[in-house]
Amino acid sequence: MLENSIDHPPVLNAQDLRRSFGSTTALNGVNLKISLGESLAIMGPSGSGKSTLLHALAGIELPDTGSLILDLPGQARVDLQQLNDKARTKLRRQSFGFVFQAGLLIPELTAEENVAMALMINGTSRQTAMMQAGQVLAALGLAGMEQRRIGQLSGGQMQRVAIARAQVTGAMVVFADEPTGALDSTTGAEVLDVLLACTVGAGKSLVMVTHDPSVAERCDRVVKLSDGNLISDSRQGSSTFVGQTR
Amino acid sequence: MNLLHLAWLLGRPAKARLAPQVLTVSAYAMVSTILLIVLGGAYSFTSFEAEAQGAYLPLAGIAVVLLVVPLLVLGSAAARLSARANDRALSSLRLLGGTGAQISAVTVIQAAATACAGALAGVVLYLACAPLASLIRFQGAPIGKAIYLPAWIVAIAVFAVVLLSAISAAAGLRKLVISPLSVATRRTVPVPSWVRALISVGSIIVLCLVFLNLGKVTESIAVIIVVILAGFGFGLLVLNLVGPYLVSKVGKRKLKTAKTPQQLLAARMILESPAESWRQVSGVAMASFVAVVGGSGAALMQQSATDVIDHSWYDYLPGDILTGVLVTLAITFICVATSSAISQSASTLDRAPLYSGLHRLGMPYSTMNSARTNSLMIPALTASIGFAIASTVLVLPLAGMAVILSPLTVLTVIVAVLLGLLLVRASILVADPKKLLTAGR
Repeated sequence: MLENSIDHPPVLNAQDLRRSFGSTTALNGVNLKISLGESLAIMGPSGSGKSTLLHALAGIELPDTGSLILDLPGQARVDLQQLNDKARTKLRRQSFGFVFQAGLLIPELTAEENVAMALMINGTSRQTAMMQAGQVLAALGLAGMEQRRIGQLSGGQMQRVAIARAQVTGAMVVFADEPTGALDSTTGAEVLDVLLACTVGAGKSLVMVTHDPSVAERCDRVVKLSDGNLISDSRQGSSTFVGQTR
Repeated sequence: MNLLHLAWLLGRPAKARLAPQVLTVSAYAMVSTILLIVLGGAYSFTSFEAEAQGAYLPLAGIAVVLLVVPLLVLGSAAARLSARANDRALSSLRLLGGTGAQISAVTVIQAAATACAGALAGVVLYLACAPLASLIRFQGAPIGKAIYLPAWIVAIAVFAVVLLSAISAAAGLRKLVISPLSVATRRTVPVPSWVRALISVGSIIVLCLVFLNLGKVTESIAVIIVVILAGFGFGLLVLNLVGPYLVSKVGKRKLKTAKTPQQLLAARMILESPAESWRQVSGVAMASFVAVVGGSGAALMQQSATDVIDHSWYDYLPGDILTGVLVTLAITFICVATSSAISQSASTLDRAPLYSGLHRLGMPYSTMNSARTNSLMIPALTASIGFAIASTVLVLPLAGMAVILSPLTVLTVIVAVLLGLLLVRASILVADPKKLLTAGR
């Protein structure tokens, strides 16, 4: 088993995660600890289990076996494996933020409403939610675009709205799946700057799936998967730890 | 490879697109069944004595005209779903170098073939439902075997459904962008202007004047019947002018007052396309119109029908008008409920990636479902209440007298409308994203 060493107490501690789809093994006993304020890139070829690992860590889809402990500061430790779908859905919207390649913004809503929606679902009043959404959008360089509908925004602007939505709830862990995958290199770099500033720059954790080595090298740590096995775990500027799960 | 072969290759039943295909065929089956039962009911009147036919056939004609809108909406929903069901195949065809004309031809052929399968299933359903429909009583006796249409009328009805689907598919294509990479809905946000409302009000006044003075202009019953039928047809067009404007007004009001995520989302979904929102529930407005005007007329005639019955055809007319109103209401609501279920299911399937993605982000399916439900029921209630009020104003003396003289009949009609709205509400349960998107997992 591969075990990675970390400097800070982990907010997410995954032990022996295993997940299969029929005869295909997507995760084969993955162990991973993610600490607060850390940015982690998950890399690997298509079908290596990157997205499955991200979904497992975020409580989107549970692994078949293994344990996954969420230990956020000031909150009770939670074993995601023990939560039902409803509880995990609530946990995701309250404790996690997400930025996906597709953006997953609601086309009928304005940029401001898309961001405010994340707060309103958690019970914040519409007036307060809209105010906070406007502030976050302005901080991300989208002042004046609050009332634009999603179809009226460029790809980079859409991703900034998605980042604003992931950030507005104050989530301490943000998951991103190819957040710059659909953008040109310049826009992608700008979006990545914003994403890193909003997350690790603010003391939060970022877990990001990417194919792009230039994106991965901006992260504190890079893990590589192959056929469901975690084959390497390296920190920027330090030696690469390479192992085999079996 | 000819277009027919291509259409078969791309549209043949496949496990991956089974749900929309079954939905589409079921929709056409419903259209055909309802159409055949309505025609069967109208056709049964031809067995009445000549004098009775003179009264019953025009009334049946009015009912058929009134049912055209919900039937067209249902047919259009089915056609759009049919085009949507094959979106990936159509995109692939574009990628392989297919021209826009070829895509259009393949889509229309597929829609027509699907409609043909649905219409034939509808004939079977009609034959299965006919015994039940034959129990409806007119002229003091059940319709009986007169509900069964001659084969040539059934053939024409099937052909009409197939033709409708082809025309709807061709029209629906204008709203889709079929690129080599995907099929997307053209997103425009038309804002219905107040001019629509003005034209509509003006048209209704003109219509009222025409109806009120009809007797002075001509004494020919045939001409009067034609003018009334044309007037109803014109009224339906007017409804479609004012409807989107009314829905957009209500949508804006809801947007202002929205407090919860589902209310906000529902208001935005309505405002995304007020015309589309209206289209889905226009049959409900029709039902309100039938309920108020037909219900008032039936109530007054019921009141006058207290004398001794001498078994002439006229004695049965008051009761039969009430039966006709209730049957028209029932059929209208069945059409609206079916088309709502189809449109909403198609919309849920279309938005599957977004709904699943939002669920991953932590938005409960129940929130999305509630927003989706409200986005249909708010326009439906607007249409129902709005047009009930408008129709009451139009026939105010008649409606007032009906309430006083025959409250039980009025109550019966109101209960029928409420049951209809409940049916529409229940029908869209099938489009619940949680059930539809997680089924079979």
